[in-house]
Amino acid sequence: MEQGVGARLLRKEDDRYLRGRGQYVADIKLPGTREVAFLRSPLAHARIGDIDIPEDFANRVFTARDLKGVTPIRAVSALPGFKPSDQPPLAEGKVRQVGEPIAMCLGDTRAEAEDVAAAVMVDFEELPAVHDMLQARRPGAALVHEEWGDNVFLETFVDDDIDAAAAKAAVKVTREYRTARQCMAPIEGRAVLAYWDSRMEVLTVYTSTQMPHIVRTGLSECLGLSEENIRVIPPDVGGGFGYKGILLAEEVCLCWLAMQTGHPVRWIEDRREHLTASANCREHHYRITAYADSNGKLLALDAEATVDSGAYSAYPFSACLEAAQVASILPGPYDFEAYRCRTYSVATNKCPILPFRGVARTGVCFAMELTLDAIARELGIEPAEVRLANLVKPGQMPFDNITKKHFDSGDYPEALRRAVAAVDIPAWRKRQAEGEKDGRLIGIGMSIFCEQGAHGTSVYAGWGIPMVPGHEQAGVRMTPDGGLEIRVGVHSHGQSMETTLAQVAHEVLGIDTARIKIVHGDTGLTPYSTGTWGSRSMVMAGGGVATACEQLGDRIKAIAAHLLQAKPEDLRIAGGQVFSGDSSIALNDIARLWYRKPQDLPPDVDTSGLEVTAGYKPKRDSGTFSYAAHAAVIALDPELGDTEILDYVIVEDGGVLVNPMVVDGQVHGGTVQGIGTALYEEMPFDESGQPLASTLADYILPGAAEMPDIRIEHMETPSPYTRFGVKGIGESGAIGPPAAIANAINDALRPLGAEVTDTPMTPRRVLEAIAKAKGTEGEGGQA
Amino acid sequence: MKPAPFEYARAGSIKEASELLARDDITARILAGGQSLGPMLNLRLAQPDLLVDITGIPDLVAAERDGDSLYLGACVSHANVEDGRIPDVTNGALAEVARGIAYRAVRNRGTIGGSLAHCDPAADWPCVLPALGARAVVQGANDKREVAVEELMQAPFEPGLEPGEILAGLRIPAMSPDARWGYYKYCRKTGEFAEAIAAVAWDPARGFARIVIGALDTLPIVLGDNERLFGDTPERKPFDTYRPEEADRMLTDAGVRDPLKRQVHMVALRRALEFASA
Amino acid sequence: MKKISLTVNGQSVTADIPARTQLADFLRDNQLLTGTHIGCEHGICGACTVMIDGAPARSCITYAVACEGAEVTTVEGLDDDPIAEELRRAFQEQHGLQCGYCTPGMMVTARDIVRRFPDADETRIRHELSGNLCRCTGYVGIVRAIRQVIEARRRNGASDGFTARSELGPVGSGHAAANAAEAVAKPAEAVKPVATKARKSAASGDKAASGPRPLNEMQRSLRISGPREQVWEQFEDIAALARCMPGAHVSEIDEAGRMIGVMRVKFGPISAAFDGEADNERVEDAYRGKLFGTGRDQRTGTRVTAEVDYALHEADGGGATDVAISVRYGLSGALAQFARGGLVEDFADRLAQQFAGNLERMLSGEQPATGDGDAGNAGNDVNAVSLVLGVLGARLRRFFNRLLGRG
Repeated sequence: MEQGVGARLLRKEDDRYLRGRGQYVADIKLPGTREVAFLRSPLAHARIGDIDIPEDFANRVFTARDLKGVTPIRAVSALPGFKPSDQPPLAEGKVRQVGEPIAMCLGDTRAEAEDVAAAVMVDFEELPAVHDMLQARRPGAALVHEEWGDNVFLETFVDDDIDAAAAKAAVKVTREYRTARQCMAPIEGRAVLAYWDSRMEVLTVYTSTQMPHIVRTGLSECLGLSEENIRVIPPDVGGGFGYKGILLAEEVCLCWLAMQTGHPVRWIEDRREHLTASANCREHHYRITAYADSNGKLLALDAEATVDSGAYSAYPFSACLEAAQVASILPGPYDFEAYRCRTYSVATNKCPILPFRGVARTGVCFAMELTLDAIARELGIEPAEVRLANLVKPGQMPFDNITKKHFDSGDYPEALRRAVAAVDIPAWRKRQAEGEKDGRLIGIGMSIFCEQGAHGTSVYAGWGIPMVPGHEQAGVRMTPDGGLEIRVGVHSHGQSMETTLAQVAHEVLGIDTARIKIVHGDTGLTPYSTGTWGSRSMVMAGGGVATACEQLGDRIKAIAAHLLQAKPEDLRIAGGQVFSGDSSIALNDIARLWYRKPQDLPPDVDTSGLEVTAGYKPKRDSGTFSYAAHAAVIALDPELGDTEILDYVIVEDGGVLVNPMVVDGQVHGGTVQGIGTALYEEMPFDESGQPLASTLADYILPGAAEMPDIRIEHMETPSPYTRFGVKGIGESGAIGPPAAIANAINDALRPLGAEVTDTPMTPRRVLEAIAKAKGTEGEGGQA
Repeated sequence: MKPAPFEYARAGSIKEASELLARDDITARILAGGQSLGPMLNLRLAQPDLLVDITGIPDLVAAERDGDSLYLGACVSHANVEDGRIPDVTNGALAEVARGIAYRAVRNRGTIGGSLAHCDPAADWPCVLPALGARAVVQGANDKREVAVEELMQAPFEPGLEPGEILAGLRIPAMSPDARWGYYKYCRKTGEFAEAIAAVAWDPARGFARIVIGALDTLPIVLGDNERLFGDTPERKPFDTYRPEEADRMLTDAGVRDPLKRQVHMVALRRALEFASA
Repeated sequence: MKKISLTVNGQSVTADIPARTQLADFLRDNQLLTGTHIGCEHGICGACTVMIDGAPARSCITYAVACEGAEVTTVEGLDDDPIAEELRRAFQEQHGLQCGYCTPGMMVTARDIVRRFPDADETRIRHELSGNLCRCTGYVGIVRAIRQVIEARRRNGASDGFTARSELGPVGSGHAAANAAEAVAKPAEAVKPVATKARKSAASGDKAASGPRPLNEMQRSLRISGPREQVWEQFEDIAALARCMPGAHVSEIDEAGRMIGVMRVKFGPISAAFDGEADNERVEDAYRGKLFGTGRDQRTGTRVTAEVDYALHEADGGGATDVAISVRYGLSGALAQFARGGLVEDFADRLAQQFAGNLERMLSGEQPATGDGDAGNAGNDVNAVSLVLGVLGARLRRFFNRLLGRG
């Protein structure tokens, strides 16, 4: 059976999960472990007064006062004008968001730890809260960080002259858009188990993270403990999506406590904490004016974007990554001449914002694609035509766009044409015109975008945040019986890397994937890596594994050359054998010889052995650009405002696919998350900064019953810069759906003259849009 | 989150449960299926001293045809109803409604009496049972009374039970073979809290007609036998003289000031009526 | 601690556990069966789904003590189950899992779907899966896997002769004898941690200025017989005013005239005791003033702020007084953080109306209907039943009047 790059290999990791034998942090039992519950702020903004700890619990409650020698989490950016925020692991002086940890409480069980937390009393002097990013920018707004003088982490400008281009426009559309604040909601929340290993003198931290090496660096900075004395181990991790790409205040606290008490301590985030206290994502506001000629060709784009970054700059991505990305990728896959964009990263009394799958691209795609549809409606032409008039053409590739993004390869118009063909737009237009028996309205919408993945040193060095990715290393080691161990510093938590990286190794060395073991994440065992984020692991770690396997192959050949009496360069490795013409020797024989019968090796053998760590970086580090066109057909109930997805098609180009089954799975999962953004997910706040969803009955995640079966077509344009021509694709699915579905809804609403502009497009928002169009909105409406 | 400490008692009889619930030195709550109480306990919103588990009381898991009605013990589960383990006297209405409650894993433990006594306005049984003209059988340590279910529910989450009283069961009138019913529940997501619920029943042979509008911030609105809403002769198709403006006014009176919310409730009602008329 | 005995994956087990132990925690911590995962602890995500008496149930909102004598099967107990084996193969072939966290609950639910619906189509499968959330796969692979197993079984004529459970009542129940006696011996209060020091106030510092901005508002106007000057005097007695608030209990009035006390409310299964303080700021010449109170409920971690503005106007040529009151309140903390805030608002509106009604009675020289000033124990919590009868009863009467053609 095919096992190499391109094979639909079934996953090596499945069996343990299917039998309930995965090992997540909460499943790990260490003798003497005590549980931690955090006492958290019920208020969004307040000065902390007395903290009253019952005497019985005096040695079980820890506050900022106890955390001596622990420094605040500080995620800065080198971008000019950035204002840093210090985030104390336990609140000091004041709290700046609901859920901010104030005290750490110990118990033998979680329930007992919660009993302790419930008995601690805190006096607060409540302060006016900043609950809205646009209000936060106004003069006179309450200040999240008083010393700043305003609430803006960072302001950026792209200030091209657009006036000349705009003056030629036949059409000008202006829109405002909002994307709601979301929670990423992996089904496993965060979890930390820390203990001091007195034999190794190492602080050992099991944590549910996507970036163990970065967490180690962050812990080292906050705890003043050198990195060789810290080992971070992510065991099985129940989904990440960006939520686990952060150094947590709780991680710092637990590590301090483990060193302080000498016994293991554990904290398992519960759903309430996830929803109300931990990092959020996605909250953007856009004001966009687009200028186009009579064919829909864009002439200029003028934009202002605001990102609600929450109370603190999260480590390592910082409070400005999202908005900085908005400015650089708003032009999307389009080619036009004049661009102006101003962005604001704004502090509010809400949870810090983190990059969620797709990062800023989901919001950017929403804003840009709705604007293009608005142009299409204005000009009365099919939305696909407007896009085709603007997309970068295959002959232009590789292409440097207006913000100097370097699109590596692909045929964007072809992806769109295929998507249009796949949903059969003429047939739907006919049905739309005939009308549905049940009174529902048919709508067809599309979106197209490109996704920069695996972007590296040059991109991140410019942002100057605490983490800049460089070369990616992988370690490979042949075992004495001919198996292969691979060590990578990225972490797999659903991405299937225990399978796909084995496929890469198989591609190079031909070893049966059943004999390849992937060790990932553990900082004690794996090479340094910035971790799993930004659709980078297959490109970077895959490249690292291939490079290391090639070097291992050279060493194997050197030994085999002796045994086969041939020149190394005349040998080839395939199917677990080294061949010289017709004669061959098995890899496991070579391994056995090397490890167990060195007496049979030639005296002048290369002493390096069957273990290699090698590094990799693509030929350009500006990133791969996968791209996709999404097309959605919906039926909208104009009486209830409810949207049903009737068909959903994606034409996707992720370069060469290592495992098409896994890629489909990533796209499916991302797409449903994107549908969540489009129709369901929203963390609302009241004016005092209270989050208004603390259970999954309040925060609605997409369920099986409402989700469509998703159709995917692939194009496979290799990236010219990466090993095997792969491109990063993990985030792609989550980018396109809000735009495609919004455009479909607006297509359906067109006869009513209504238009939606905000996510999620809840029944309520749809009904409001209809009412607004009818001019009947009014009396006491509320979201 | 984990619950605050509580004690647990499994009552062997209604009398035993009743005595525990009547105690005034502790806060005791009935545990029927616990599918609504469980989340509140885990979130520490509810912190009773004692849970009185009544699911082991034999009288409460009975289901029998009793003359012109069906008697259901309070602890019959939604899944029992869904699976047809009880006699069907409502032309399939009860089973159909049960099928749409939350999720199967919840229906296997959640109970009809527990749900009614929880009086959540967005839940199914508090809307459907009044539409069917069901009566609640309430039992204390010594006495027993029957009351219309809509009168049992006194406010959201507040059943009209005196200390020591238990909702023991439900008496559901048998529908005539040609009776019609309709149910429309609108949820943003399958199994979640309803945005709108309408339940209607029309049984000309018994001269019975009901409309219930639920999923409000207050208790369901229960309307019966009103010519202005229902049409006046049995020969007519049910509800074809239904006057939406009356229902809209009633929603306004019930505190639904937002016109779009009223619209959603009205649509649900119309669709339930259409379902019954079809 | 409670002693429990039940069957887990075919083995009889006995353990001493606190009554509050979730079945999921019992399986994970006590039985070391960590395949059952916890994802929300409020019964929505489905990660903790196990079989109880052969049917799927949530182990997070089921307490272990309620499963005395029951048969519990976890994902670990499905190793040798033939349907589970088919499902495992199909899940692998259709890529029905990624991170694996929801997978054990999915397996239990999928097995139930295969057994109960041998003819299920995609719509049915998706509907039945709605109680199990997966954040990775978008459900595509899961639905296809279940479909694959159902279709293969249909082709092979395989059936395990599934019939629905015949016992009535919740799964897990009905296996054990009563145990009431033991529980009654000791009110649980004794084991609850209580604050060791009485608190003086919930919000320290500059009272009104330090409170959250109240968000909800209701207004009411009362006409009281008696001249304005007399009513104005009554408004000076902050303790009397406080007693109009249902469930309020005044423990102390300090030198500055600030009142310290507690307000107990009961909202279904939720009982809250708001410890707090209130102040009465009067603008003497203008015959208006403001009651300002803040309170905190330690149990649920909820804070409330309320303001009552009152203004007195002469009416009936001085023989009566019109009292305009406007009540605003804001909630923060656990009770505020729900999407169904309308229910809480409805409740709070009723409280505010009750306050106004009591105020009217007090000013007219009657006793407040509820809100015993010395109420100290649980039995005297403000019960919404008595509270709302007045308000809601009126609504119901209106409906029924209209209903009966008397409206």
